Amino acid sequence: MKTIATFHVNGQEYDTVIEPHMVLADILRDNLNLTGTKRACSGGNCGACTVLVNGRPTCSCITLGMLARDKDIETVEGLASTKNGLSTLQTAFVQNNAAQCGFCTSGMLMTAEALLRENPQPTRQEVKIAISGNICRCTGYIKIVDAIMEAVSTLQTINNHNEKA
Amino acid sequence: MQILRQSEHTTKPQDDELLYVGKSLQKPDVAQKVTGQAIYTDDIRISGLIEGRLLHCPHPFAKVKAIDTSKAKSLPGVTAILTYQDAPQNKFSRSTMAEALPSFAYNGERQDQKILTDICRYRGDCVAAVAAENIYVAEQAIDLIDVEYDVLEPVFDPFQALEPNAPQIHSDAKNNIAFEMDHPFNVGDTKQAFADADVIVDFSGVNSRQKHLHMETDSAIAQFDENGRVTIISPSQGPHLGKKHLSERVFSDLEDGDIRWLSPTIGGGFGARLALGLEPIAVLLARKTGKPVRVTSTREEDFNGYASRTDQHQTIRLAALNDGTITGIEQYIISDAGAYLSHSATTSLVNMQKSLGLFRCDNVYGHVKVVYTNTPVTAGFRGYGNAEGAFVLQQAIDMLAEKLAIDPIEIRSRNIRKEGEQSFFLPCVLEHTRLQECMDEGSKAFGWNKKFKGWNRDKSQGRFQRGVGMSILNHASGAGGFLLEHSSAVMKIQADGSANLVISPCEMGQGILGAVTQIAAELSGIPYEKIRVVTGDTDITLFDIGSHASRSIFVVGNAVANCAKKINDIIRECAITHFEKRQVKVKKEDLIVQGGEVFPKTNPETTISVREIAHDEIYNFTEIGSQISASGAYLSTSHHPNHQAGFAEVEVDTETGHVTVLKYLAAHDIGRTINPLLVESQMQGGAVQGLGFALKEDYVLDQTTGEVLNDTLLTYTAPTVMDVPELKNLMIEDPYNHGPFGAKGVGEAGVVNPAAAIANAIYDAIGVRIHSLPASPEKVLAMLQSGGREMPNGASHVSGQRL
Repeated sequence: MKTIATFHVNGQEYDTVIEPHMVLADILRDNLNLTGTKRACSGGNCGACTVLVNGRPTCSCITLGMLARDKDIETVEGLASTKNGLSTLQTAFVQNNAAQCGFCTSGMLMTAEALLRENPQPTRQEVKIAISGNICRCTGYIKIVDAIMEAVSTLQTINNHNEKA
Repeated sequence: MQILRQSEHTTKPQDDELLYVGKSLQKPDVAQKVTGQAIYTDDIRISGLIEGRLLHCPHPFAKVKAIDTSKAKSLPGVTAILTYQDAPQNKFSRSTMAEALPSFAYNGERQDQKILTDICRYRGDCVAAVAAENIYVAEQAIDLIDVEYDVLEPVFDPFQALEPNAPQIHSDAKNNIAFEMDHPFNVGDTKQAFADADVIVDFSGVNSRQKHLHMETDSAIAQFDENGRVTIISPSQGPHLGKKHLSERVFSDLEDGDIRWLSPTIGGGFGARLALGLEPIAVLLARKTGKPVRVTSTREEDFNGYASRTDQHQTIRLAALNDGTITGIEQYIISDAGAYLSHSATTSLVNMQKSLGLFRCDNVYGHVKVVYTNTPVTAGFRGYGNAEGAFVLQQAIDMLAEKLAIDPIEIRSRNIRKEGEQSFFLPCVLEHTRLQECMDEGSKAFGWNKKFKGWNRDKSQGRFQRGVGMSILNHASGAGGFLLEHSSAVMKIQADGSANLVISPCEMGQGILGAVTQIAAELSGIPYEKIRVVTGDTDITLFDIGSHASRSIFVVGNAVANCAKKINDIIRECAITHFEKRQVKVKKEDLIVQGGEVFPKTNPETTISVREIAHDEIYNFTEIGSQISASGAYLSTSHHPNHQAGFAEVEVDTETGHVTVLKYLAAHDIGRTINPLLVESQMQGGAVQGLGFALKEDYVLDQTTGEVLNDTLLTYTAPTVMDVPELKNLMIEDPYNHGPFGAKGVGEAGVVNPAAAIANAIYDAIGVRIHSLPASPEKVLAMLQSGGREMPNGASHVSGQRL
């Protein structure tokens, strides 16, 4: 049964035809052409497909599209802006070479993004716990944790600066 | 990260003179990976693309009696259904190495597989394929195909498969032997050496079938054009060999040039992409339908049908004198290929090369036998036999050290090959090694002398026991002499002074595009950020055997270096007239190209931009214009070994058998680090894969059904961030005169030592030897409780882990 559904992704509204069995990852990728979100296990086990749904990190490969209608969805494509370029977190990933093959990177970034919004000053251990559901086969994780910690300290500096100003 | 330089060597790098080499620059493709803009095979959108899916046999061994596709055909949206009756009968191997191996080192690779088959030799074998308007219809159609099977008696264990009345898996492979060969470099007389030895050690072990677990599952797109030429798009590590293999072995009506192969961004490889995946079936479906077809696979299909490390059952015997000198080494390998040969024979041979060649020894004997079973096909995996062998050899050498009461580092030091002696690849001389320095500096940084308390230390009582262990390795920087080891690069200068660098290796995440661009920038004089690297299209790139064997920085790097030097030369040549126009008289050999500018050595203030020169070469209305361009090639005829020493400290919970790695350190003999950030990334990633191989990663096969029981990322426990211990890497730098700026390979070595070093550390902690990987809690506990006498049987894995 086909339905026209509305999705709010990265601040934009999309109307698209979906079927009840379609998962959010497929809708983002195949209907909306937002292919930055990756499917790696289609079972909610690896975190590569993580997007934010109403601010919460969510495995889009096991989230039915029907349930994500009219919710606020954020994907990796929404992190950078034409005005400001790469986000602080993305810049830190680049500088630390935290992406090797890059297939887990979108999910890592979205998971880390959610963490930093909830807890802007996490410890290294808290960062590790936050990304413990995201599998990376290339990096050995160290550079990813380094990057997130670097973003934490950069954001802190920016905040301090803004407060003073 | 620490970078150590060996001051006593005269060829010490002079970093001050270099602008790019030795610097931690960002690799060119990283930004698009953090924005989601990198395009992987599954991200490609092609108008009219249809989706292909495969029907796998549900039995480990069966013959198709009847197949009925009528219901599936009548499903709306189905474009084509192919069965084994429609596929070529030509046999091929997933390994394309047959096209790149000389006969002297290898006695032939069986071509034993069909694209679609009616004799199913494992659960991953495909009997039919569907192409449909979308994936949902394709999957429905697969479910509607009725197949009647004659179920045959399977065999899952290589030792049972070798028995005389075992089921015969391939009619032309007697006793299920897929491959058998003596080590090509057997020398001396091991029987005599063992008879004369003061001390003998005998150790057996088997590794698990570690999964590559590239995060991007396999997929392939194929599309024919109006002239009958096919474009394949897939995450291949070696597309040039792939198209040769496909045209030679499978599609006899296609020539090499009839295939254009694109490798877009690759979501991890680790060796799996060196074997063919879904490309042949995609080509078949595209030809049948006349449409572009994409064939994809699920994670479960990857576990059941794709590739893993080959499990190699090994026995290593060492003969030695009382002073620790090794006088004889024997290695016997029985490898389980799975249902088809693929890379299992070559990985086993490479295991022998590395294991039998690490130590100086006059009497060497190795023998390998590769056996078919009704289990998923195995393949090459990062390290390519070396991690499998090190796990056994490095425990054996420790046992020898214990018998002779010699420190583990000392016994290795006494036996490793020195420069000028024969290399592990015997026809070659070992031109360069800093393995001793890796051990010395590594042990210092690790604190070995404090942590290792000797062989007869008093073991404290208590639940948690700590121990340390180490391991060493030699690995290739490209398999020159054994493989067709050459590469070519092309560079051209645009009218704005920027450059395109065309290279052949595929970028799987290892960072090779960045490293070779640094070499090109350093030697051409074009700034790093102005060089755009082009790869992944066989119509554009020059022939090359692909990204593997830690070859790219060495072989491709040298090709790029040759190419960039020529570009530099042409720019200087062209600059002379530009200087003359300005009344500056210069000689070519006095000119320097740097940062996109050309200037005389003696007069660096007078510059002419490469932009001006390049522009005038192209937009030349008076003479024949010619864009500045050059190609460079390199042929490697030796293995140019890189080396590494690894040190592990573990804590064993003697109540649960759980092993925790507290600290791991690797010291790598790299020659020269082109990009420290990228090299450290490779070493960290390799070490964590190695830790998974050592302790966690198993591949559990149901002994009665042949089903993979842990075929998801939930049940196959790859390391997560929580498993990562304190990791340290040392790069032991001493430029090697054959490498580009002295560099040697590094990509694979990191994964080799961890399992061996950890196994030795477990022994140091609790006094039991690990014979099968992974060293999971139940095995460690069983060994502990029996005092090391009883080895757990059937704890895991296909072969029942008889060791």
